[in-house]
Amino acid sequence: MIIYGTFNVALVLLGAPFFEGLLRKITAQVQSRKGPPVLQPYFDLLKLLGKEDIEVGENAGMQRFAAYLSLASILTVATLVPMGSSVPMNAAGDSILLIYLLTLCGIATLFAGLAAGSLYSLVGMSREMMAMMTLEPLLAVALVISSINAGSLRLDAVLNGAVYSHSLPLSGLIMLGVMLFSLQGFVGRLPFDITEAETEIMEGPLLEYSGPKLALFKYLQMAKLMVYSGIFIALFVPWGNTLFYPVSVIIFLVKVLVLVLIITLVASIHPRYRIDQAIRYFAGMFIVSIGALILAVWGY
Amino acid sequence: MTPAYAIIYALVVCAGGAIVTLLLSKNKAVAGWLCFLATALSSFLAITAAGTVLLSGPGEAITIMELPQLGSSLRIYIDGLSAIFIGLIATIAVLSAFFSISYMEHYKDYGVARYYPYFLLFVAGMYGIVCVSDMMLFFFIFWQLMTLTSYALVRYEYKKRENVRAANKYLLMMQIACVLIMAASALLAQGPVTVGSETLMKYDFEAISHGLPGLLQSSSGVVIVAFLLYLIGFGIKAGMWPFGQMWLPAAHPAAPSPVSALLSGVMIKTGVYGLMRSFLWLVPEQAIESYPSAGWGLLIAALGTITLFIGTLQALKQEQSKRLLAFHSIGQVGYILLGLGACVALIRPGLQNETVLGLAAIGFYGALFHTINHGTFKSLLFFNAGSMLYATDTQDLNKMGGLIKFMPVTAIMTLIASFSIAGVPLFNGFASKWSIYVATILGSSVAKYLGICAVFAILTSAITLASFMKFFGVSFLSRTSSLVAEKAARKPLLEVGWMMQIPQLILAALCLVFGIIPIGAYQLIAQALHGSQQGLGASLAKMPLARLDGLAGIASADGSALFDPLVLIMVLGIMLIIAFIITRLGGSRKRADEPWLCGYAQDAEQHRYGAHHLYAGVKRYIRWVGGKPKPHM
Repeated sequence: MIIYGTFNVALVLLGAPFFEGLLRKITAQVQSRKGPPVLQPYFDLLKLLGKEDIEVGENAGMQRFAAYLSLASILTVATLVPMGSSVPMNAAGDSILLIYLLTLCGIATLFAGLAAGSLYSLVGMSREMMAMMTLEPLLAVALVISSINAGSLRLDAVLNGAVYSHSLPLSGLIMLGVMLFSLQGFVGRLPFDITEAETEIMEGPLLEYSGPKLALFKYLQMAKLMVYSGIFIALFVPWGNTLFYPVSVIIFLVKVLVLVLIITLVASIHPRYRIDQAIRYFAGMFIVSIGALILAVWGY
Repeated sequence: MTPAYAIIYALVVCAGGAIVTLLLSKNKAVAGWLCFLATALSSFLAITAAGTVLLSGPGEAITIMELPQLGSSLRIYIDGLSAIFIGLIATIAVLSAFFSISYMEHYKDYGVARYYPYFLLFVAGMYGIVCVSDMMLFFFIFWQLMTLTSYALVRYEYKKRENVRAANKYLLMMQIACVLIMAASALLAQGPVTVGSETLMKYDFEAISHGLPGLLQSSSGVVIVAFLLYLIGFGIKAGMWPFGQMWLPAAHPAAPSPVSALLSGVMIKTGVYGLMRSFLWLVPEQAIESYPSAGWGLLIAALGTITLFIGTLQALKQEQSKRLLAFHSIGQVGYILLGLGACVALIRPGLQNETVLGLAAIGFYGALFHTINHGTFKSLLFFNAGSMLYATDTQDLNKMGGLIKFMPVTAIMTLIASFSIAGVPLFNGFASKWSIYVATILGSSVAKYLGICAVFAILTSAITLASFMKFFGVSFLSRTSSLVAEKAARKPLLEVGWMMQIPQLILAALCLVFGIIPIGAYQLIAQALHGSQQGLGASLAKMPLARLDGLAGIASADGSALFDPLVLIMVLGIMLIIAFIITRLGGSRKRADEPWLCGYAQDAEQHRYGAHHLYAGVKRYIRWVGGKPKPHM
């Protein structure tokens, strides 16, 4: 189990910048440009690690803590997601822990915004919290439906396609639709990249970071792409997970590739939503998912 | 000495202490230390009583006075459930008394003659309510002791009109609750009963419980009305929607902060105690067929869900520190009611199916564990708010900012408390919320509505996090506000003294201990259930405690849900080290600088993004929930 956990972490650390690079390249091609090389994010991270680390504001300690927490929390979640094997850290917790650890990733961004204390970072922090408030219930409903169908909250039972019940899997298909339509919000890409990459508030919570700490936050954004795709795959398209380990990893990476392509294409042709439009959108998704939950409880 | 005698001595100590502090009230410090000594002695006696009961079973009941004409007797009986509540009261009371000694310096215009005596009698009243087994006269006496003294304490700063109004509203609601509860007991009482060698009076808890099966068969309508009156009466006390909003948000901010901690952390739990007693312990096991537990479970769980959702949304709008905490008390009581409702709903199918009984048990564990945890972290939060009020003289979150530089210890305590109430893993709030989620999510196979309740509870948890990020971040982080800069210029250190820090440190340590070793709390609750085998509580006590292989983890009975904090600490620790190593790889150098504010740096007090502006996008859509924030003071 520890070996699989280490492999997961290594996979995310080494693979996440590659998928980000792919996303940037394909966005560029869609927008009729050449775009950067696919390996550019690796060079960006290496460059940032050597730059000067400017600590601003009155809360330097909190600024440091937020940066370390950002990457640490997403890597901890990565050990709870099956990436070609069974769930590595199954003994640590169940689906409820997964939901709350994902919240911890958001808390890192919130602390970043609060520690800097400038107007832009506080606006960004407020928007990040509002996005978290409206997105978290969607994932929670998906996990709850899977738990009800599987009769257990354990991650190896839930992250196993349990969302499709045995009779007509209506609730599972509805949740598949809801999650596909919300995936952009979870990974923080257009049209829902309201918190970070915003030209309106100068990157919001990340405004005052530079050098290695900015590298950690960039890593968080790249890792979110892989980890949330991993959760989506484990919930809705887990087939091929039980094969021989190297083969299942390759199948997993191919599925992530397909999801990243979908995310990229949607991101490259959409403008950014305002926060109130995003809230209304996700509230609507929440109502649909409650309908799916009612169906799941009645056995559909 | 037996547990019952220990509690009686504790009550006597409190009464004696009240008289002494009244006589010596001219000197604030002397009165404070005397009150602390009296509280410490009574807490020591109380915890001894509770510990004895938890370790070796319920003590013998002691009847001090019998009034057969009125059908009541002063009978003190301490079983496992009472022991847990006694432990909670004792801990928070002694810490609150210690905090008061130096906190009362804040009130320059008021003496302490109207504080310390009432404080001691208030604590005595609470001990009485959870130990007495009478449901009419002596219940009334202890209830009035608790209510009238807390009315005086809420009204302490009587020169402010809104405090007097708040105290009057509180008194009215509590008297209504008392009347409803006594009416319910009158409806259910049948007649005196002889059990073993003692004769129990008409209005004794066990006598009512004896007569209940017959009454359920003959006139179940009367029983339904009586239980409804119990629900509303104890619900008013606990702060259930819609009754809680009528008195809680006004009363808790009005009282001095140590008393607010007692009100929010402990007193509303006596309402929860009443609900647990009447819906689970009052009903004998053989009456389960005629007891409409599915309906009551639905009602309690539904009211709990509405309370947690509406209460927390109302809290999101608040900008005054103690008023925000008061609304959150309403919200968290909703979680406790949800756990209790899940237990009541699942207990009847549970008697035929052991998995479901395990879920009912875990729902009850969650409710009782959340009661303990809420007492801990809410008291800590009120002590923090008291420290902030002591340092800045305001409750307005909009005027604060950057306090962490001047009050580092209080800041860390507030952070721990905020993480606990928001349910961050490794803090105690997560462990109890986990238990409630397990019961509701897995219990929805039997009671279909519980799954939806669980999803609303998870949504509300995110809203709680938002509210406490605001509470902590806007006051301690963010840039130093002009008010804070002004206060800091006058005093070198804004941090409160060591006497106000020690209670906070102890409570924060408790939050961490229960968060990292939740199995400890589970053992405590299991012992309590083992020692209160009466009514439906006996069925819950039958479930064995599930243990994980690790040292500290908790799991449901059939292993379908688990949480191991120690593994999580290890993994999170390793990842933090990896993140730290990555930052060191490039050999970058650090430099300190000012934040970029587009050139509007120094006079930025006018464009301060304060508590009022946070989450404006969501606040637009929740105007309909009520809970208007008080204007800036």
